[in-house]
Amino acid sequence: MKRRIAAIGILGAFLSVISVGMAFAAEVTVADLIESPTAYAGQTVTVQGELIGDYGFRGNGFMWTQLDDDRYAESPVVEGGPLTGGNLGIGIQMPADLGEGLSPPGGYRLAGPIVRVTGVFKYHSQDRQGETYLDVEALEVVTEGRRIEEHPLPFVVVLGALLVLVAFWLHWSHRSPAALP
Amino acid sequence: MLIRPTVHDLRIIGFYLGRVFTIVAVAGLLPLTWATLGREWNPFGSFLLMIGVFAAIGALLIRICPGAERLDWSHGMVVVAVTWLVVPLIGAIPFALSGHYGSLLDAYFDAMSGLSTTGLSLVQDLDHLAPSLNFWRHLLHFLGGQGIVIAALVLFAGGGALTLYYGEARDDRVLPSVRSTARFIWAVALLHLVAGVLALGLAAWFVLGFTWERSLFHGLMIFFAGFDTGGFTPQSTSIGYYHSAWFELVAAVLMVAGAMSFGVHFALWWGGRKKLLANLETRTIVATFLVTMALTLFGLAAIGAYSNVAGLSRQGVFQILSAHTGTGFATVGPSELATWGGLAFGGLALAMALGGMASSTAGGVKALRVGLTVKAVANDVRDVLLPERAVVDQSYFQYQRHWLTSDLAKAAMTVSLLYVALFLIGAGVGMAYGVPLQDALFESVSAGASVGLSVGVTQPLMPTVLKLTYITQMWLGRLEFIAVFVLIGFLWSAVRGK
Repeated sequence: MKRRIAAIGILGAFLSVISVGMAFAAEVTVADLIESPTAYAGQTVTVQGELIGDYGFRGNGFMWTQLDDDRYAESPVVEGGPLTGGNLGIGIQMPADLGEGLSPPGGYRLAGPIVRVTGVFKYHSQDRQGETYLDVEALEVVTEGRRIEEHPLPFVVVLGALLVLVAFWLHWSHRSPAALP
Repeated sequence: MLIRPTVHDLRIIGFYLGRVFTIVAVAGLLPLTWATLGREWNPFGSFLLMIGVFAAIGALLIRICPGAERLDWSHGMVVVAVTWLVVPLIGAIPFALSGHYGSLLDAYFDAMSGLSTTGLSLVQDLDHLAPSLNFWRHLLHFLGGQGIVIAALVLFAGGGALTLYYGEARDDRVLPSVRSTARFIWAVALLHLVAGVLALGLAAWFVLGFTWERSLFHGLMIFFAGFDTGGFTPQSTSIGYYHSAWFELVAAVLMVAGAMSFGVHFALWWGGRKKLLANLETRTIVATFLVTMALTLFGLAAIGAYSNVAGLSRQGVFQILSAHTGTGFATVGPSELATWGGLAFGGLALAMALGGMASSTAGGVKALRVGLTVKAVANDVRDVLLPERAVVDQSYFQYQRHWLTSDLAKAAMTVSLLYVALFLIGAGVGMAYGVPLQDALFESVSAGASVGLSVGVTQPLMPTVLKLTYITQMWLGRLEFIAVFVLIGFLWSAVRGK
């Protein structure tokens, strides 16, 4: 009985340490992590952004993906969002069960889920031969992913088709004996 | 006396340009098909327009410049130089219409970077870019790396093949005729394509846990960029996106294969492996790789960038391999690369400048020129030190014994010096816009040597003049100057000739 109480006590203390850690996790952006990596190395941080690219379930109980927290996370170019430079992203590793059931990652005509992740920022990780990434412990979906509509450009298609026809006509009339002087 | 080019000259040039544009129009069917299958209708329209422009101009040129006459040396060089200026211009149409570029110049920058296998990019929101557009970016690496003019040689018989071949900075003829050599080059590329995509795709599927469709997609993109030592990647965080030593290893094998000359590929396939080890070029590239790797690793250790040997080795070796082969893949971001000062910077910049083997898809000065220059200087020093009657061996081994004539040494040194000048001019322009010396030099060497590693100078908001400078550097560096100089001379003759 005493052992059971002690075990529950240790577990409770462990969970409260983790939750206190989570509660005090610094709210940062990917830009902060890129600009001052040593300042955040080994610290628990919270980042919000769009999951993008691929979900790589590696079979070792972990899932890898990329989190972008640039302006395109809210308003991608395909949707008519303004150009604000390159993407700002960081690789994230999380327990595979956290990645189950997420809507598809962002990509072409696809806005990925906006999530808030909390985890340890691994800068030049010794365990992974110098890689830099976020080792996520908690994930909260802020907005589900969605499809993006693209506005069609019919004029471009018509112009292109016309030019191809012109090219064919030039080639064909060039080869045709009747067209020769 | 300068002789003004005649209408006849222009017709010959126009005819061959027409052929090349027609070939590129046919190549454009690949991304068009991709866009159709993926129901990517906006990219579909832009690819159709690009194909239409290439095909119409090509057909028009063939129509108004009839007759396949033999090209002379200057015609061939002009064809190559103009091809490499105009193909990226028309090839930039899908980029410009995608909305992912700030201006037509930015789209042209990326198309030139793709074709010249550099890998510097001004694309914005790459992570939401259409797969067919990503495919076109990477296919440009393949077309440029293998040589679009060489593709025309494979498909069309015709006189003057030799001059076109040399114009695209290739001087290895592994088979008796240029056309059969061009076919061999494309055969090597296609075989590597199958093996490379399979290896990368399997790595992405089994190791990274991607879906099989995405595994194939990533495999194809990274193959094009790795084997053609280009450096574009389908995601914004370069090769670091994959977070896998295995995937990096497969990519590294392809990078090395891409940086090897087609003479080496030929020797590996059809015997002559022993000779490879004795080759001046092989010995030079092994020596320069070891030296630059040592410099970089010592430099990284000195600044304490990595706390253990495994991290130092994996990150340092991959970056130096990427730099030396002229690929430009990075596992660390530009801002972090910018902090690699001192020896690490020196090692990386030197590796980029030296480049791969001659007649490979890599850029830079090239190992053979470095080897010839060093040997010529060493011979001169020996000549001075030894007694007057002593005879200094003036030969070198490259598949067979050759004489290192003063003309050959002069040619190697001249091109090497031109590269140095190119790097310095680019750095000077960067510094004029307030870029610190180290960053300006790094970015300039990266552009001029067709590498693509960046410390963050290349970005959409950089000054227009700097964009134009890097575009010119990529063009000059890829063609190794001669074709561009002939074009300038041709234009000068048209203005001042009689």
